[in-house]
Order: sequence, then structure tokens, then C-alpha cells
Amino acid sequence: MNSFAEINDKLIESTIEIFTGMVMMEISVAGEPLVTVGPLKQSITGMVGLAGTHKGLLAVHFPKQVALDVTSSFLGMEVDQINDDVQDAIGEIANMLGGNLKTILSDRGKDINLSLPSTIYGDEYAFSSQAEVDQVILPFQAPSGVFYVEVELEH
Amino acid sequence: MAKNVLLVDDSSTMRKIISRSLRQAGLDFGEIYEAGDGQEALAMLEKESIDIVLSDINMPNMNGIEFLREKANRPGIKDIPVFMISTETGDDIIGEAKSLGAIGALKKPFTPDKVNEVLGPLM
Repeated sequence: MNSFAEINDKLIESTIEIFTGMVMMEISVAGEPLVTVGPLKQSITGMVGLAGTHKGLLAVHFPKQVALDVTSSFLGMEVDQINDDVQDAIGEIANMLGGNLKTILSDRGKDINLSLPSTIYGDEYAFSSQAEVDQVILPFQAPSGVFYVEVELEH
Repeated sequence: MAKNVLLVDDSSTMRKIISRSLRQAGLDFGEIYEAGDGQEALAMLEKESIDIVLSDINMPNMNGIEFLREKANRPGIKDIPVFMISTETGDDIIGEAKSLGAIGALKKPFTPDKVNEVLGPLM
């Protein structure tokens, strides 16, 4: 397995590629990786699970306004509330990032299975793992706010 | 003659993005049909005149590999070409898809330029 530093670099590259190439939105790294993020307020989280030689999850946490802007840009249509389109778009971003993470962790993604994406959203919620995990949270600056890409991998 | 395309992906967002990318790539195609999983895709192939299928792999109900396997057993539709568009691009899974008749694969994320380069010759 690669070190977390290598994973971070490749995941940053993947995230920027997905946003510039498919979401059609310019983003940048918004500081050093974090080890925790506080309660998420007025946010939506997309996530996929990893099973196989590496177990864990990838999650992407968007404040509501960033999620709306991302979905609007992704779909090329104005979206002003959290609806099925927003949940689907955020889930698909998590899915693409999870696919890239598979490739980063294992030779061409062999021996790792990805779950179908799911989303959660609400006024305030916490995101934490019950298992012993290595964890990193990468902050990114989008035009209307900061969002986070989080990876948790079991020891 | 412009080809009719079937997009198979459980994500409605991704179906819209692929459809938009086909248009942005300037490819000559006819109708675009959509299905949310392999089962819906099989029903659509039996019902509509479709020339090429662009399919995801990781889907609920019937995934892309199961879809290829089932389609290969149906004489009326088994020869319609299928191209995979997926985050799943490992050699093992793409090898399995190709062994079941898939004619190629494109990795998500993709750009309209990549869509044009890869799918242009098939249209």
C-alpha cells in the first residue's frame, strides 16, 4: 500500500481532475490535510464503501450552497434545493473518487470492491467511524465555499 | 446513418453528462435512450431499435457484467455492441466484460474530447 502522503497527492489530483473535467468548476486545495472535521451543518455527504484488501470508505462533504452550485454546474441547469438530482450528483462524485481511490490503493483496482454510493444530509450531523481507522480529510476551495474529501481505511 | 444509443447507468446525473458529452463531442447519433440498470436495458433493447449501448458496470439489480452475460443469451439482441463507461477499469473486470462481448471501455471521469476520441470511430 502507498503511504497516506502519496494517497493524498493522488487524491488531490483526482479531485481536481473530476471537478475541472466533468463538473466544469475550478477548485483548489484549501490548506493542509485535517484529521477531523467538526459537526457538519446544513451539509450533504456522498460516500462509497471499500471492501477487499483495503476496507474503509471515501466520503465527500459539501455545505448546502456548494452542493447546489456543484450540481448546477455538473448538470448545466439551475438547482436551488437539495433534491434527487443533488443527491445523485453528489453520490456520483463520491463514486468517481472511490473508483480512483481503488486504483491508487491497489494495482489497477484489483481486489477491492466498491459499494454503490449513498448520501446523507441534514441541518447538523457528525461523521465518525466505529472501527480503528487511518483517516485523512482534504479541504478544497470551491467558488462558494470549502468542501472536504475524507478517506478512512481500517488498520 | 446516425446510430441510436442506449445509455445504461443507475445515476441519472451520469446519463445526462454522457448525453451532453456526446453532443459536445459533435458525434453524429440518432435517438438517445436511457436505462437505470441491466434489467431495464434488456427490456429497452428488446423494444427499441438501438445500435450501440454505453453501459456502467457497478449498478443495482443487474450490474453491467450480468447484463452482458444475459444479453449474450438472447438471439435477437446479442450482436448489439456494448461499450463500458465506468469507474471500474481494472484489467480483471474489463477483461471479463470483453470476454462477454464488450467492445471497449472508457474510465470515469472523462472529458468530451476523450468521448470523441474513444467513441467517435464507433458512431
